[in-house]
Amino acid sequence: MKLQQRNNITVHGDGPATMLFAHGFGCDQTMWRNLTPSFGARYRLILFDLVGSGKSDLSAYDYRKYSTLHGYADDVLEIADQFAVGPLIFVGHSVSAIIGMLAAIKEPHRFAANLMVGPSPSYINDGDYIGGFSRGDIEGLLQALESNYLGWSSNMAPAIMGAPHKPELGVELTNSFCRTNPDIAKHFARVTFTADHRKDLPLVTTPSLIVQCSEDSIAPRPVGEFMHKAIRHSSLRVVENVGHCPHLSSPGSTFDAMRGFLTELDL
Amino acid sequence: MGGGVTPDGESLFENAACGLVLTNPDGTIVRVNATFCSWTGFTAVELVGRRVQELLTMGGRIFHQTHWAPLMEMQGSVAEVKLDVVHRSGAIVPILFNAVRRRHGAQVFDELAVMVVNDRHKYEAELLATRSQLEAANERLHGADRRKTEFLATLAHELRNPLAPIRTGLEIMKQVELPTEGGRARAMMERQVAHMVRLIDDLMDVARIESGKIELTLARIELRQLIDSALEASRPVIEAAGHTFRLILPEGSGALFLEADLTRLSQVLSNVLNNAAKYTPRGGRVELEVEPLRDAVAIRVRDTGAGIEPQRQASIFEMFGQVAGTLNKAQGGLGIGLALARTLTKMHGGRIEAQSPGLGAGSTFTIHLPTVAAARRDASPSWQEGERPVRPLNVLIVEDNQDNAETMCMLMELGGHAVRIAHSGRAGLERAASWRPDLILLDIGLPDLEGYEVARSLRADPHTAGCTLVALTGWGAAEDKRLSEEAGFDAHFTKPLAPAELFAFMHDTFGGPTG
Ligand SMILES: Nc1ncnc2c1ncn2[C@@H]1O[C@H](COP(=O)(O)OP(=O)(O)OP(=O)(O)O)[C@@H](O)[C@H]1O
Ligand SMILES: [Mg+2]
Repeated sequence: MKLQQRNNITVHGDGPATMLFAHGFGCDQTMWRNLTPSFGARYRLILFDLVGSGKSDLSAYDYRKYSTLHGYADDVLEIADQFAVGPLIFVGHSVSAIIGMLAAIKEPHRFAANLMVGPSPSYINDGDYIGGFSRGDIEGLLQALESNYLGWSSNMAPAIMGAPHKPELGVELTNSFCRTNPDIAKHFARVTFTADHRKDLPLVTTPSLIVQCSEDSIAPRPVGEFMHKAIRHSSLRVVENVGHCPHLSSPGSTFDAMRGFLTELDL
Repeated sequence: MGGGVTPDGESLFENAACGLVLTNPDGTIVRVNATFCSWTGFTAVELVGRRVQELLTMGGRIFHQTHWAPLMEMQGSVAEVKLDVVHRSGAIVPILFNAVRRRHGAQVFDELAVMVVNDRHKYEAELLATRSQLEAANERLHGADRRKTEFLATLAHELRNPLAPIRTGLEIMKQVELPTEGGRARAMMERQVAHMVRLIDDLMDVARIESGKIELTLARIELRQLIDSALEASRPVIEAAGHTFRLILPEGSGALFLEADLTRLSQVLSNVLNNAAKYTPRGGRVELEVEPLRDAVAIRVRDTGAGIEPQRQASIFEMFGQVAGTLNKAQGGLGIGLALARTLTKMHGGRIEAQSPGLGAGSTFTIHLPTVAAARRDASPSWQEGERPVRPLNVLIVEDNQDNAETMCMLMELGGHAVRIAHSGRAGLERAASWRPDLILLDIGLPDLEGYEVARSLRADPHTAGCTLVALTGWGAAEDKRLSEEAGFDAHFTKPLAPAELFAFMHDTFGGPTG
């Protein structure tokens, strides 16, 4: 099957270097739309959906392959192989920041920089380490996914998607960007929130930027500091933002943080 | 109206039938109504200034951050999100949220309307449980279906084995003088065996169709070849039922060519012809008419028989689409003939249709097939038995079934060949090495070694590498043919063997009596 369809890859902009954007758990590549216009003039941009999310080919979701983040990291390397031109800057949100990191550990020569937005190497509290959650909390998330099973299921989309064409409803009553197969979503959630990659942090050699939100319940500040300490050559920038998606709610400061870091690297 | 007082906006907001919450985009609560307060156990003063996500369970907060928040940013609304709210008492209150982001003057607010949804959740849970039960049941059915198909394939295969020696035996009887009654009995047995072989072939085809394993061997053929070959099989059936038969071939139909699998298409046509004979009361009329069309041909089979009710004209093409009609019951059959015909016609890029004015009014079956230009013709003259003599050969038969080996042996001896028999793979290898036969007929399913393995060993030994190797097996799938080719066989015949085919092969390989 073609890579392009498998990951719903789209290419925008142009430039001597490539930025490869990977969305986090929950939505799809549309997440980047407040940020990409600012980068498009200077870089070649590749956006894609993780297999199992967005408009990726759901039939390519192999529960074994994607039972660890390495399965996704291998996909990233394949995409980079086929679509990247020039130095590669990986931009990953949340779980995808770790996916990019794993890919860069596997093939460091391919990556010029890794920009990590709201990353966390492990979400579960463990002794002195504060990931922010307990195992029970993760079960609670699965339950929340479960109870929104019908409403969020991509199977239901055709019935509900009619709404935008019915102006009398006034608002777009769809949760379109977050729709997917609920079983996949649950599996992905479990894999994401139980992954522990703290041991991998010292293996990173790629220059890495950690974009930390001032207030983020998914990736709290101590987590950003932990990563910064563990990754050599890493920079930590705190962006004034409440929530886990600064690229959506504070795109300006997020862009500045990234651009500043890339300028230092001459990219 | 009636002098009543309309409640003011304030009271409407406070006591609305749903909880109402106004927040900043970061979730900080700016205003809540009394309904929401009473559902959650908090006072408005306690709630204002807190973030709405703080009221959720931890799992709900993650959901809020990963789904709700990005959606609010991207499309300014979320619809029907169910999240658990932690009541002041610690109890869990399942709540359904709808939210819209709206600008009020210079400021942007999120407006939330919520409902308690104990029941909906139960209903959903039930729906989901039912659905997974259905899926499980479906899975079981599929499993049963697969097993049934496998069973059919195995059954058909097993049925073929005993038929092989019977067929060969009948062939032998044909070549020796028999008294008249014996001759008639022999002819009867041959017809019945041929019928049984057809039924078994159909059964195997069902298994192949169901597992998607049917394959065509396409060649350029004349339409006339197709008709002759189908009639060869069906004419006796039509005549036995006392029908008159008419073939209507218009001018120019001799120049019609098909890109087709002759065996498969004649199977289709003769299925339809046999049906016409079968479902027409004795002494009726059966017609076969060819109508050339643009780049296509319509082959019509008409009868004056039982007819088909309009509502059944589609279902008869389904597998086992036999309908409980008196006539049908009496006629026997498996109800797969037309299902096969439809699949095979489709595989040839054509279609098949049934037409009937109604019960008792006769039927017309039309097979549409695409035609091709007559540029090249595959030379495949049909041969007649006895026309293909073979020079005397040394033939080794490796076959564990005694009867089968015996009859094969007799058949070969009648042709003037010297024959040896081996009943196992190893015995076969020894025999071949010492005797150096010209031709080895090798069964695939041997007790000790697989026929493929025997073939490989024969090919590896310089003394036997040059013999002609023929595989005889109950399995005729393309996959088996490929395997036998890989193992080094020169030919692959499916049991029960049609001796004429083997003779033709021998003639082609070894030439006539003079070499
Ligand atoms: N020419 C016809 N006239 C009336 N009914 C027909 C005719 N051809 C087929 N049918 C109906 O369609 C049904 C399906 O036909 P089909 O050939 O698939 O099965 P069958 O003849 O019953 O069994 P078999 O598998 O041995 O062919 C028949 O049982 C019969 O009821
Ligand atoms: Mg029939």
